[in-house]
Amino acid sequence: MKFSIFRFNPEHDKKPYMQDYEIELEATERMLLDVILRIKTQDDSLTIRKSCREGVCGSDAININGRNGLACITQVRELREPVVLRPLPSFPVIRDLVVDMTQFFKQYHSIKPYLINDEPAPEKERLQSQEDREKLDGLYECILCACCTSQCPSSWWNPDKFVGPAGLLQAERFIVDSRDRATQERLDDLNDVYRLFRCRSIMNCTEVCPKGLVPSRAIEKIRLMMVKSAL
Amino acid sequence: MVQRVTAVYMLFFIVFMLGHFILDPPQSYLAWHGWMMSSGISITASIFFAALFAHAWVGLRDVIMDYIHPITLRVLMLVSLAFGLTGVGVWVIRILWLGHG
Amino acid sequence: MQRSVFFNLTQIQMPVGALTSITHRVTGVLLALGIPFGIYVLALSLESSQSYAQLVRVCDTWMFKVVAIVFIWALAHHLLAGTRHLLMDVDVGSLLPAARRSAWMVNLGGVAVALLAAGAVL
Repeated sequence: MKFSIFRFNPEHDKKPYMQDYEIELEATERMLLDVILRIKTQDDSLTIRKSCREGVCGSDAININGRNGLACITQVRELREPVVLRPLPSFPVIRDLVVDMTQFFKQYHSIKPYLINDEPAPEKERLQSQEDREKLDGLYECILCACCTSQCPSSWWNPDKFVGPAGLLQAERFIVDSRDRATQERLDDLNDVYRLFRCRSIMNCTEVCPKGLVPSRAIEKIRLMMVKSAL
Repeated sequence: MVQRVTAVYMLFFIVFMLGHFILDPPQSYLAWHGWMMSSGISITASIFFAALFAHAWVGLRDVIMDYIHPITLRVLMLVSLAFGLTGVGVWVIRILWLGHG
Repeated sequence: MQRSVFFNLTQIQMPVGALTSITHRVTGVLLALGIPFGIYVLALSLESSQSYAQLVRVCDTWMFKVVAIVFIWALAHHLLAGTRHLLMDVDVGSLLPAARRSAWMVNLGGVAVALLAAGAVL
């Protein structure tokens, strides 16, 4: 199978370039990450982040044939050749397929991704009914891989002001958590021309989420809540 | 919110206008003039234009905010947009209410 | 030390919904630019029977017809994409399969209306 991989080492390259590789797939190799690691045995300079190899850590998010995804859960034989691998779009490249996620995490932290509850702590846990726990389904599973945010045009044009789909999905996760008491503050924080309202429901986020989550819908729900609280 | 509400009003108005033109097209200048200037039509049409300008303002402001970052250029464009829309607004009032263009 | 970024829009996949969305924006700008022209047409039609008659003559020229069809396409696409937006606002069709279907319908619908208009007008 033919691969064309984005290479850039700031220590000796002035510009990035694409390097071609040709690999005979072994029967046991099913996922793209397997092949990338085998390419590394031939060319150890190729750099990629990877960890769990099962789609739960989010480290190996890259752009595969134009579309973001996790290398460890992408079936390599289903890919169109030559398989073009590039780093996540719009994020500064540290080296080859590794990008700088600082801006992404800054936006995540800005939505206060923790429970805010000043009521005195109960003896054991803060209880939550089955029903209330189900409200978190589709929101808590986010692995912060950044596939969505780096494919979002609104994030491309205003990465420092627009929170982005991942951050907004996590904001919704805390807004609907029955144990959180800061709902109004969270809504007020996002009720800004930039932070949430740059979203135009382009839905690139939902298209590429490797966990099947729907950030565009979470954002819609926040919008509806804002309208309700205003009326 | 403004975008959504004005959009709905305009949708209904456009469908109504389209229906009227297909089912009962104006036969002459006088027929057209009389119909357009009747109180029902001229008032709903004026509201349509108000909705249109508000809708266009929000839409174009969004485009400017997304793509134009240098602050002076952005302010210049937004101000020109505001004046432009006010200008066409006054033009519409002249046409529908003051009898000239 | 150099920094690089992958940001070649021609190499990034554009799903059907993204196409609908950017066209929604482009048609919006186009329609906005057409507003002064549209109001001028309205003014001419109401000013006097002479200007009305003149306007009717201009409407028969192929140049006017072509421009009219382009604006009809722009309005149709913008309207359909806007309706899709309104429905998604109230949680109708906001999941991926439905969203993709509605995006196709909007894209094709706009073109269909333009073709119908072309047929009626030319």
